[in-house]
Amino acid sequence: MADSPGRPDGTDDEDQDVLIGEEPGASVHPMLATEDSYEELDYDLNIEAPITEQRERLASGTIASIVEEHTGPASAEEVGTEATELENDVERSSLEGDLSNLQISEEVTQRRADTVPDRQDVPNDTDEEVLQNREAGQREIKDEDIHSSVWRDHKKHVFILSEAGKPIYSRYGNEDKLVSLMGVMQALISFVQDGKNNLRSIVAGGRTFVFLVRPPLILVAVCRTHESQQQLLLQLTYVYNQVLSVLTYSQLSRVLETRKNYDLRRLLGGTEKFLDNLLNLIDQDPSFLLTAVRCLPLDSTVRDTIGHSIQSAKIKDLVFAILIADNQLVTLCRMKKYILHPADLHLVFNLLNASTSFQAADSWIPICLPKFDSAGFLHAHISYLDNSKACLLLLTVDKMMFFELAKCKEKIVEKLKKHHCIEAINRAVAGGGYRCLEVGISDLRHFIYKSKSTAQFTAPELEAPYREKEERARLFNMYQYVHQRVHNAARPLKIMFHVGSREAMLGWVTTGFELYAVFGPLATKQVAILAVNKLLKWIKKEEYRLFILDPPEF
Amino acid sequence: MSANSNGVVRSGSLGGDFFDFACKVMLIGDSGVGKTCLLVRFKDGAFLSGSFISTVGIDFRNKVVDIDGSKVKLQIWDTAGQERFRSVTHAYYRDAHALLLLFDVTNRQSFENIRAWVSEIHEYANDDVVVMLLGNKSDMTSERLVKREEAEKLAKDNGIAYMETSAKTGLNVDLSFMAVAKDLKMKKTRRPNEPRFNVRDFVDQQKQTPSGCCF
Repeated sequence: MADSPGRPDGTDDEDQDVLIGEEPGASVHPMLATEDSYEELDYDLNIEAPITEQRERLASGTIASIVEEHTGPASAEEVGTEATELENDVERSSLEGDLSNLQISEEVTQRRADTVPDRQDVPNDTDEEVLQNREAGQREIKDEDIHSSVWRDHKKHVFILSEAGKPIYSRYGNEDKLVSLMGVMQALISFVQDGKNNLRSIVAGGRTFVFLVRPPLILVAVCRTHESQQQLLLQLTYVYNQVLSVLTYSQLSRVLETRKNYDLRRLLGGTEKFLDNLLNLIDQDPSFLLTAVRCLPLDSTVRDTIGHSIQSAKIKDLVFAILIADNQLVTLCRMKKYILHPADLHLVFNLLNASTSFQAADSWIPICLPKFDSAGFLHAHISYLDNSKACLLLLTVDKMMFFELAKCKEKIVEKLKKHHCIEAINRAVAGGGYRCLEVGISDLRHFIYKSKSTAQFTAPELEAPYREKEERARLFNMYQYVHQRVHNAARPLKIMFHVGSREAMLGWVTTGFELYAVFGPLATKQVAILAVNKLLKWIKKEEYRLFILDPPEF
Repeated sequence: MSANSNGVVRSGSLGGDFFDFACKVMLIGDSGVGKTCLLVRFKDGAFLSGSFISTVGIDFRNKVVDIDGSKVKLQIWDTAGQERFRSVTHAYYRDAHALLLLFDVTNRQSFENIRAWVSEIHEYANDDVVVMLLGNKSDMTSERLVKREEAEKLAKDNGIAYMETSAKTGLNVDLSFMAVAKDLKMKKTRRPNEPRFNVRDFVDQQKQTPSGCCF
């Protein structure tokens, strides 16, 4: 293995081609926030931010300001009233929560789902409703014996608990049976906190334990994988954001401030599948690793037509219109003033990915996008267009806008149909992206390219020898490895060449882009460097197909 | 096309198909009692067996039915039973012309919670909203935990109609939606000297009781 921290010899001329702002996929009109989540993590890692400061940093009033701007200050106050309403609800339910706790202590062995009214959506074993494949798989996992080696040997455990040590979520096994384990975690954290210090991670028994304290929650990952502490922290941050997307930070903190021992699962009931699905995606989808969004490769004229169609259906208070197909972004139309953070968009992707209920009918749901505004909900009209793979989300601040947005969607569908855009999207999805062969570099097997200025990335479809599930997972681990090496806080690298037994990998990070490329194991450093320069030229040539460079605005 | 206070839309072509009346029906009740299954049975005549797909937020579907020669379009809201979606569902209560309130006859708690649902209806829904209490999963006789008499009494105390349904066998499913549609149509077409249409009486005459019931 050879690491070259500097610029490789003989490539200076080639490098001149890639000026900042002109690297492939660069755009001066970003539609996504491009701050690096890694920097943010550094902030968390290095600066002892007092809890209050963290809270201020999290909460913002974007939604209230949109409401005020469009309807005057009175309505903005209504948003506040709604929050109080919720609070009352919570107080009422927390009383019930306490009652059920009493029952629980009496019937320790009985499943919690049987005793708490609002968790009855979780069917118990005797339920006649057999779960659907994916969900059934999850259910089995929840019933796993926590004393078995199968449970202990899972590659990555994730736990969520309250600051009081109450279990909220476990990726594997029933969290009710993990009360004492979570108690130990809480004890460890508060012991270290007592000494005016923070517990970050423990390495023991071939496992890494990573702790993320986000008052009023504690998130813990326990891994047998080789992911770095930073990568795991980033993953825990996504999990935390997923919780916020259901509750909002305001509600979460209010509930747990009023009652420290509140059982948060009452409010999170039915969302375990979103957490489960998120963790599965994190283990296979590079967008989380890169904090970037993948766009559906599409002819730029088609993409523009789609953008115009959405733009022309604009109505008041529509903040974002997002068109997604097959976990890839087709287009994102936004109110001029507001941009989305990729981490928020990941939550949207996860929402669609985790539930099949959206395919059946038009849906209307509240969703909090924590980077956009952790204090309140946006309301999303979600519909698959004309039974295609394309799913349209219309986000607004007004919860009464369902019918306006339904009409807006009809208009968009009409326009898209007229220009045959839905067929074009279906074709692009069915085609499965583009092939690495198109680039015309013989030894190049696969690559991932992220344009930093747009927070978008592109990658060809996975082909032999990465067709099998195990091989895909191994390749993903290799990408994770190169990623953590180049981003190592103590010793960051600009370029890295790694030769393994089954492939050679090149990682290259500049101010404008990140590139990871996979070659056959016999490729030399020189060959690889020449190849990636050719690759950059190819991406530049294709950039309007691979990226959204001119995002539409309302 | 105009909408009056109880959400009734007259003659129009929402969504492309033609109809004489349109009304909004909302399915409510605890999570897992079978709201989506009931709706899918009514709309597509199918039973969603082998799957539990919990609704996220509110789902929206249309179906046009024929009531004595008139086309009535039902705009049906299928709500998520979970507590955290309540504030959104409340917002749409007052637009609803009819509420189908479901519980699961094999789940005692879902029945106990009906009182809370009824008070929620009083708080948020329109005064002249049609409410129908439905005891779903009535085909599961051996696991039944709620007696029919209990449910009938509860419905009577609250002045609402009660029926036992089964999304699996289809028992009373169409009737529950058709009764709502008929009620709307009668409200719209009744001449002043005609008697009022009573949904409860209509349902009591028409409904079938689950066979092989051991209670």
